Amino acid sequence: MTPEVEWKKVSAELLILSLVEARPRHGYEISKLIEQRSGGAVRFYVASLYPLLYRLEKRGWIQGRWVEKSGQRRRRYYRLTSEGQKILASQRRGWQTFVEAVNRITEAEHA
Amino acid sequence: MPDWRAEIATRLSSLRLDSTREIEIVEELAQHLEDRYDELISGGATDNDACRDVLMELDDGKLLARGLRGTVRKMPPEPAVPGKGEHNALASLWQDLRYTLRQFQRNPGFALVAILTLALGIGASTAIFSVIDNVLLEPFPYKDAAHILFLRLHGSTQGPDEGRQGYSADELLELARQNQSLESVVGTTDDPVLYKHGAGVEWLYGADMTPGSFEFFGMPALYGRVLQPADYTPGAPPVFVLRYKTWKGRFNGDPNVLNKVFVLNGTARTLVGIMPPRFGWYDADLWIPKTPRPEISTGFAGLPERWFTLARLKPGVSMAQSSEDLTGDFKRMAKLRPQDYPAQFQVFLVQIGHSVTGHLESTLYTVLAAVGLLLLIGCVNVANLMLSRATSREKEFALRAVLGAGRARLVRLLLVESLVLAMAGAALGVLIAWGGLKLMVATMPSDSIPAESVIGLNAQVMVFTLLLAVLTPLIFGLAPALQATRRDLNDPLRDTGRGVIGGFRTARLRNAAVVTEVAVSLTLLIGAGLLMRSFLALRDVNLGLQPDHVFKTMLLLPPDRYKTAEQVSAFFPPVLERVKAIPGVMDAAESSSVPPDNSRDSKVEVSGKSPDNQWHAQVQSVSETYFRVLRIPFEMGRGFTEAEVNDARKVALVNRKFVSTYLSGEDPIGRRVKLVGLETVADSLREPWFEIVGVLGDVANQGAPGYGRGGLQAPIEPQVWVPYTVTGSGEHVLVVRSAQTPLALIDEVQQAVWTIDPGVALMYPDTLDHAISKRLYATPRFALLLMIIFGSIGLILVTVGVYSVLAYTTAQKTHEIGIRMALGAERANVLRLVIVDGLRLVLAGVAVGLALSLLLGRALQAELWRGVKPYDPATLASTVLLLLATGVLACWIPARRAARVDPMVALRYE
Repeated sequence: MTPEVEWKKVSAELLILSLVEARPRHGYEISKLIEQRSGGAVRFYVASLYPLLYRLEKRGWIQGRWVEKSGQRRRRYYRLTSEGQKILASQRRGWQTFVEAVNRITEAEHA
Repeated sequence: MPDWRAEIATRLSSLRLDSTREIEIVEELAQHLEDRYDELISGGATDNDACRDVLMELDDGKLLARGLRGTVRKMPPEPAVPGKGEHNALASLWQDLRYTLRQFQRNPGFALVAILTLALGIGASTAIFSVIDNVLLEPFPYKDAAHILFLRLHGSTQGPDEGRQGYSADELLELARQNQSLESVVGTTDDPVLYKHGAGVEWLYGADMTPGSFEFFGMPALYGRVLQPADYTPGAPPVFVLRYKTWKGRFNGDPNVLNKVFVLNGTARTLVGIMPPRFGWYDADLWIPKTPRPEISTGFAGLPERWFTLARLKPGVSMAQSSEDLTGDFKRMAKLRPQDYPAQFQVFLVQIGHSVTGHLESTLYTVLAAVGLLLLIGCVNVANLMLSRATSREKEFALRAVLGAGRARLVRLLLVESLVLAMAGAALGVLIAWGGLKLMVATMPSDSIPAESVIGLNAQVMVFTLLLAVLTPLIFGLAPALQATRRDLNDPLRDTGRGVIGGFRTARLRNAAVVTEVAVSLTLLIGAGLLMRSFLALRDVNLGLQPDHVFKTMLLLPPDRYKTAEQVSAFFPPVLERVKAIPGVMDAAESSSVPPDNSRDSKVEVSGKSPDNQWHAQVQSVSETYFRVLRIPFEMGRGFTEAEVNDARKVALVNRKFVSTYLSGEDPIGRRVKLVGLETVADSLREPWFEIVGVLGDVANQGAPGYGRGGLQAPIEPQVWVPYTVTGSGEHVLVVRSAQTPLALIDEVQQAVWTIDPGVALMYPDTLDHAISKRLYATPRFALLLMIIFGSIGLILVTVGVYSVLAYTTAQKTHEIGIRMALGAERANVLRLVIVDGLRLVLAGVAVGLALSLLLGRALQAELWRGVKPYDPATLASTVLLLLATGVLACWIPARRAARVDPMVALRYE
């Protein structure tokens, strides 16, 4: 895997794991939140979002469950598992280290 | 708005996903697309634009299918969703097979019980069939063995399998010369040989063969050659051929013994051939050429020579025709020598093999029938298990049918399952048969099977087993398969599948199965019970003597040195003296035979009675101590004195039967009896009239069943005892009563004999108890053992059968039982409910089984000891009780489990 692909993959996983950290969310909600919070800069279409969700589920980092709420269609909600929490923490640290490193490099250029 | 679900489904089709997973994914993604569509519309997009955008996002770089491919579990190839028409028959059969194996892996308990049950049935059938094939169907390795016949001269007053089987040289020659219907006639006669070995002598069982015998059998020698016409010409060098087993056992398979010279009975003979392993004619160790001579000749031990005569029919001649022809020939001979024949007789031709296996034959076929029934019970059990399973698989079948599987397709799947079970059962069954055969060969009465037969799993037996493996699934698999697939396939899909115990029809079939197997098993057990009663009755028959603590051995005297009465009389007194001096020996005697056998049958005349050609008696020559050693009670008069025996006086003792038959109760003491047979032995007597001095109780003298004799079933024959000193002819047996274990005497007796004459050999040393038991009880004991073993297997199978059916129905009824208990039913009530349910079936089976046994009882009657009735109430009652007890036990376990049901748990199942 090239560094670029790896980087993209890890960042996409990080986004999803972060979003389901506070509370369980369904797929459409996740895609909306990514779009909104990135101000439209990052977008996940259905074709790429769901394979990713299923992969994370298969690894046991998140868990999907059908939930029926009164007056609504049933929806599949994903929540973070305890293993997912560990992964999220480690990915966050890695990401921060990475961002700080990039920042230091780019700031040094400006300075 | 497009149908999102359809759009998604088409994009997923290439993935062949598991159907439930696919449905979920389609639903989840469709929701997403719908939300996205709504969002675009509410953002002001036209319907067309929104649709286009959503679909574009769905197809984004074909990411969906690619991304899902490695993530979501693929569905396994599903064999039983047919109708796609993509597979050929063989491939789909292969699919059925793999599916079946997976099913069994998932449910190993079912498969294990089914395979074990079938293995027991198939194994038992295979074992018995291989005995029948090797002992009855093809025991002999000889050329055209099925058409080798022997002659039996059957007197009109004799039992069905009785009659003379040995013929004089005159008769043999006459047959070969005169008879029109026989193609070739050959004869064999006993010729035990002594040869020097180490300190003393050993003996081998030799058989004399007439010219043409080896051509008749058509088997070449393994090494060297067989006997040839030249060996029979007068003055030809004496030769013999050796049996393979003897060569291996006595000569360590040494190839150098070929063409060596051995001194046998004083004649130097060259060993010219060693026969192949399966050649064992007459169960002899060696075969010697001998041409029958047309005169009164004597054979072994000075007794009249008797040839066991074999023949083949000429082409186109029937057995009946030839029998008639032979009877005519013998009637002509009887005119010349009437004393050698019964007043009325017929000559029968009998296939060889029947001579030895005659008595075992009916036993083996009875057991084969019993084993067939066992296999049937096993099939019924497995059918039951399959029915139970089919009921719990109703949903699966319904779904398959809804998805397009035809009934034939479902039946085929179930039959493939059955076939796999049967094949596994057969494989395990062959192992069981292999072990069972070893056991059976070990317990089989050795006299009852031809020496040539090799009991093992041969090609025919394997074909038989394979046939069973293919046929049994049709019995146990077809009914459940048809049953499982006949119901309305929609029903099971609609209901919850709980609390429903099959349909009415399924239940009825299952109940019928239990009733059948209880009935069959009861029939088997009653058979075993009757045979046991019969065997006990047989053991209770008074033999007229006390055989415990008696050692017996035949003595083989060198024929060249012991020809006359004087020579024999000089040998025994010192031997008996020495034997009596052995510590622990209480008494010893000499006799020409031991019960139940007798080597000599003679015509008799009684003084004061007009001669009757029918009158005959068993003649036994003994020393005066014989009656003390065997503890035969005197009824009248006295025994022989030592002086009478030493002086060879012509005195006689007779048995009770003799008195009642020929003297009709008149006082026998002082009467004289003429033993006509003593005129024809080597050391013959002229005017052999003997004075009766005493009467003894009846002692078993009917011989062993088979070999033309009747055994204990036949009536006791009149018998006469004379001093052994009156003739030197006849066999010589030493009987010794001992205070200790009789067999411990062997070495000391041998030493005692060799001190007097080192040229005499001990033949067949044994305890009298064991010898009698082998002769009289071995065959019925073997039959009983087989029936007990197979009866027990039947009982085990029934227990498993009743238990599995009840356990299954009870488990299905858990819900019902829970409701009952919630409504106040006591545990005892539940217990009773289940047990009564099961016992009703067992009782029905018992009723059917009893009826069946009474019907079959007639067939068993011939096997039973006289006095034991096929409807013996004690046997019937105890067998029924045994089966009922087993039935209650089989019901008890599931009933207790049912009674332990917690109503709350049972109801929560809903």
